[in-house]
Amino acid sequence: MKEMIYQTVCPGCNIGCGLYIRENEEGALTVDFMKSSSANLGKLCRFGMKLPHHYSKATSMVDGKEADIDAAVKAASDKLKGTRNVTMLAVGATTNEEHLGFTKIADALGTVVNTGIGAYEEIPSECHPSISQGIPLDDIENAGRIALFIDPYVQYPLLVRRLLAAKKNGATIVSLTCCDLNLADENVSINPADYKTELGLDSNSIIITDVNPHSDAEQVKNLLNLALVTGSKIMFMKPFVNSTGVHLLGKSAGQIGLHDIMDGINDGSIKTLVTLNSDLLELMPNTADAAETLEKLDDLVVITSIDGPVNEMATIVIATEPLYAKAGSFMNVEGQVLNNSGESTVGIDAMSTLSQNLGGEAFDFQAMHSKMMESVVRKFTAPKYSELECKVMETAAPAENSGNLISVYNPFMWCNQTDDNDFVIVNMNMVDKLGLQKGGMISLTSDAGSVNMRYTVRDIPDGLILTMKKLPVVTGNTTEVKAEAV
Amino acid sequence: MANVGDMVVGYATDENVRSRGASGGLVTAVLAAALEKGLVENVVVMKHINEFEAVPIITDNVEEVLASTGSLHSVPVNLAKYAVGRKVAMPAKPCDVQAVIEQGKREMIDLDNTYIVGLNCGGSMHPITTKKMLVEMYDIDPEDVIGEEIEKGKLIFKTKNGEEKAIAIDELEEAGFGRRESCRFCTLKIPVNADLACGNWGVIGDMAGNATFCQVMNEKGAKLLENAIEAGRIEVQPASDKAIAIRDKVNSVMEDLGSYLEKEIFPEIPDEERMQYYMDQMENCIDCGACKEVCPVCACGEDSKCTMFHSLVDNYKMSMYHLVRFMHLSDSCIACGQCSDVCPSDIPITLLQSRFSIPSQRRRNYQPGMNLDTPPFFEVMLK
Repeated sequence: MKEMIYQTVCPGCNIGCGLYIRENEEGALTVDFMKSSSANLGKLCRFGMKLPHHYSKATSMVDGKEADIDAAVKAASDKLKGTRNVTMLAVGATTNEEHLGFTKIADALGTVVNTGIGAYEEIPSECHPSISQGIPLDDIENAGRIALFIDPYVQYPLLVRRLLAAKKNGATIVSLTCCDLNLADENVSINPADYKTELGLDSNSIIITDVNPHSDAEQVKNLLNLALVTGSKIMFMKPFVNSTGVHLLGKSAGQIGLHDIMDGINDGSIKTLVTLNSDLLELMPNTADAAETLEKLDDLVVITSIDGPVNEMATIVIATEPLYAKAGSFMNVEGQVLNNSGESTVGIDAMSTLSQNLGGEAFDFQAMHSKMMESVVRKFTAPKYSELECKVMETAAPAENSGNLISVYNPFMWCNQTDDNDFVIVNMNMVDKLGLQKGGMISLTSDAGSVNMRYTVRDIPDGLILTMKKLPVVTGNTTEVKAEAV
Repeated sequence: MANVGDMVVGYATDENVRSRGASGGLVTAVLAAALEKGLVENVVVMKHINEFEAVPIITDNVEEVLASTGSLHSVPVNLAKYAVGRKVAMPAKPCDVQAVIEQGKREMIDLDNTYIVGLNCGGSMHPITTKKMLVEMYDIDPEDVIGEEIEKGKLIFKTKNGEEKAIAIDELEEAGFGRRESCRFCTLKIPVNADLACGNWGVIGDMAGNATFCQVMNEKGAKLLENAIEAGRIEVQPASDKAIAIRDKVNSVMEDLGSYLEKEIFPEIPDEERMQYYMDQMENCIDCGACKEVCPVCACGEDSKCTMFHSLVDNYKMSMYHLVRFMHLSDSCIACGQCSDVCPSDIPITLLQSRFSIPSQRRRNYQPGMNLDTPPFFEVMLK
């Protein structure tokens, strides 16, 4: 076999960084820089540079035993045929075409595909397109003032260069994140009720925040309101490569978030779950809790291209080709359709068979691609900011931090991928108070257990500890932990 | 019979290769002949992704080599990794050649088995910058471009409908477009460090646009050229004195421009401001490691002096990782600009590195990647 070169998109977030994956004769993968990609000019963040580690190939399984994909599809058909109340989840970690195929299966089962972001349920549907599709990335560089509610260095690193370019062009940047940002002109902590008066935003401003499965809907509404009352543009970053595509392609009515799905499993109302490239053990804050919940399912059918931890718990795994090898497209945060050069349709074909076996439509890649082109591309081929069409909403105060350990979600955390930067962030006062030693460890203990971590010191509010790594002691966005020197 | 020092003008005998090649297809034909006649087992060719980007691939298929003809200028790449453990021929810009030779010095590849056909280079352009420049400065749809050329200080684009538009490079660069920054202060324009130095400078008269000027730089180059002639893949004739003089003149103008721009690009930094200058430049590093990964002269591997410090836990605003690299690469850095190209925080790493490496190299009268005779001034023991 010759070396294969695939043009693809980084699955680490929704910026849509183009890259090449090279697969050599022995199947070893390396990443190469796609300099003609307008989203990133070939540049990649730490996650992108480590992508080969992410593409561990999945194996089809039936009841814990290896099977070929046809046997897995047949077993899934047998399990799902006639089953009522099947819940389906696809967060947007695969192509538009596969997502549409998955919705065909949902149609056959009389259900919808949930994309896992619960905040959508609580926000008027006329706001959804503006949440799904953001601002052309180039426009960030020409903003007058930018309010950051995310840490770009950690969460969406390819925004850093855009923000620095904006500063060079005269923008001022105000950060409202927990950690002082080097690139910000102002690092502030403001009560949400005072955002409008204190932040100085206007129609030449951009609010950059994110929406993810664990987002607080009240905070999302607050920021939408802020954009509405100040005339500022708003950009919702998202954690999955095709988050925008799946929200624009999917049916929003009747969707539930990840936490509702887990609650449904726990209270017994959800007995069968089918997922597409969505590993709940990785996506939920606490892996052990999530595993305990998933154990309660009668059937878990996993369709995936990755050898993730949830595969071992699944009744059936339908293993598809690696993401980079798939035929198909993604839509990035600015609304640009990005195509894979891969030509494999193993996943789509398997879903078509499954759909057909369940009494639904048969389809092929071309049909799904045409449907995507019709429903999405015509509207969004030239990325452009859509003005907000909703009205100012009633909001409650965003949820208070109920703990001192805060998870800063980032690609490594969403994918539960090993990161050599495995440390927590504390401030100097905590170092003094706990008597932490340089080069030493900090012990964190919560109801979920205990862990020893390296630490680094930054300017963050007193008493807080930030983690960019998924820790076994974490139980939610924030967790109350007892911290001690080791 | 080809000899070291020969200067010829030639073209591919295959009409198809000749017409599609940027300058008569000689380079493509030489590479194809090297593969065809068993001089090498593989050839590195630039696979077209689009009109503005090509990526290197390795092939043992003569037809694939012939089909690769007509590449536009692409940004520098790390070619040495394709030569590891192989008997290979490759086309390369001057800085690409320097990198390959530096890897040869560090015994990462065997230069006896690596045949390099060098290509003149007046500078390369980033694909996205080029597309923006075409729209904003040339009023050309990037999709319509079929070729580009640098001539008499102007950057010329040719379009599908046969039009040519030229704008002075100075004007483009003042507007923030044009060549990559590292290309602006580069003074190695003719790849005299390659086995063959090829390009269109000095191709005059009826041959202009349809042939390549080729200088044989060493015995391997003579073998490459002779092999292609014997295979019937190329026809050559001695370059005239006028052609040689014109080539020298173009080269001299480009070199002077590079030297002039170097002074503009590297203004003096007072001693007392240097620490703050580097801290400011480095403060947005996210420790992705791309600068090391892409570096074509780095031969250390994953476990190396700089990576000992590659962690955000200890260094953020002023990473020791970078300082170690500045020091360690000060003999071998060729200022190709790839580290700046891939930096997600747009840190001008090449410029920072060059502030270390250019003075160090000049003080020792050492230019990296020119030959195997001069050892690097750090650590490497040559057999």
